[in-house]
Amino acid sequence: MIRNGSDSAVPRRLQWQTAEVSGLIDETPRVRSLVLTLPDWPGHKPGQHVDIRLTGEDGYRAQRSYSIASAPESENVMLTVERIEDGEVSPYLSIDVRKGDKFELRGPIGGHFVWTSALQGPLFLIAGGSGVAPLMAMLRHRAAAKNKAPATLLYSSRAFEDIIYRTELERLAAMGDGLKIVHTLTRQQPAGWAGGARRIDRAMLESEGFPPAARPRIFICGPTRLVESASQIMLDLGHEANLIKTERFGPTGG
Amino acid sequence: MQPHTNDAPLDGNAAGGLLSELFAFDVTTASVICEGCETQGEVAQARVYGGTMGALLRCAHCDTVMIRLVHTPHGFWLDMRGARSFFVKPPAE
Repeated sequence: MIRNGSDSAVPRRLQWQTAEVSGLIDETPRVRSLVLTLPDWPGHKPGQHVDIRLTGEDGYRAQRSYSIASAPESENVMLTVERIEDGEVSPYLSIDVRKGDKFELRGPIGGHFVWTSALQGPLFLIAGGSGVAPLMAMLRHRAAAKNKAPATLLYSSRAFEDIIYRTELERLAAMGDGLKIVHTLTRQQPAGWAGGARRIDRAMLESEGFPPAARPRIFICGPTRLVESASQIMLDLGHEANLIKTERFGPTGG
Repeated sequence: MQPHTNDAPLDGNAAGGLLSELFAFDVTTASVICEGCETQGEVAQARVYGGTMGALLRCAHCDTVMIRLVHTPHGFWLDMRGARSFFVKPPAE
C-alpha cells in the first residue's frame, strides 16, 4: 500500500530505475537543475522526493535524496541540486553531469510534505536557499491547476544572484492569480533593493504570512536553523501544528 | 531536500525510501508513540540520522531512538524497541 503519485489502487513497491539526464539548466552559479527522463514514472505529488544512487567504478555506492522541483503536470521530472563543497554526490550532479548520463533513481517518496491543489485554504511557503525546490513544485502545480487561492512564497537567499528560479517566479507572480513572492537577501543586496535584507524572522513571518484564523497550510523547507526557528515562530503566532509541515536539509555534506 | 551528512539530522520523511524497502505502506505518514516520552507524532517529524547504510530515527521531543535500521550486504536489521506503537491509516484514494 505504498502511496505514490498515481491514484492507482494497486499497491506498487518502489523500485530502482534508470534515469537519463535529458536537460541541464544553470539556475545560479552554485545551483543546477537536471531534467530527467524516466522510463517508468508513476507520477508524483508536489513536495515528494526521490533517492538517487551513484555507483563508482570500484563498486562504491553513494545515495542521496533530492526533492522534485517539477509539477506533476510536467512531462519530465526536474531535480535542483546545489553544489556542496567536498560533497560526494552533489559535485557530480551539479558540475560533471552531462546530457545523456544515466544513474539510478527511485521514487516518488513521502506523503507528509505534500500539497496538492485539492487542499483548501491559503498556502504559505517559506524557503531558504535550495529549500525552494519542493515549494517550486507546489507553485508550478498551483499554476498548472489554475488554483486561485491566495498563496505567498517567502524566500530567503544569500544574494540576488543566488535566487533560484528568479525569472520564473517573477512570471508566476505576474499572472495575477493570488500569488505573492517576497524575497529577502541575507548577505548582500543590490543597489535599490526593495525586498527584505535580513534573515526570516518573526516580524517578517507575521507581516507576510496569513493570520492563524485563515488556517493557511504552511510548508517550510531549508537549512535546519531556518526550519526550526520559522516553525517555532509560526506555532507562537498561533498556527495549528498539524498545518505546519517542515523539511530540513543539512548545510554541509552531499 | 538536499544531501545530508551523518551528523545533521533530517526530518523523518527523508527515510521514506529506506523504510519502503521493508514496509508495504508509507511509514513516514504513520503516527508513532515514543517509548521514551509517550509523545505521539508522525514518523515524518522524527529526526533522521543516517546515510546509505541505514538510518536512526530519534524522537523530536526527547531524542529517544525509536527506529534503528541497518542495511547490510546480506539483509536488514530492524530495531524498533523505542517505538511503542504505530497507527497506520489506509492510503487515501
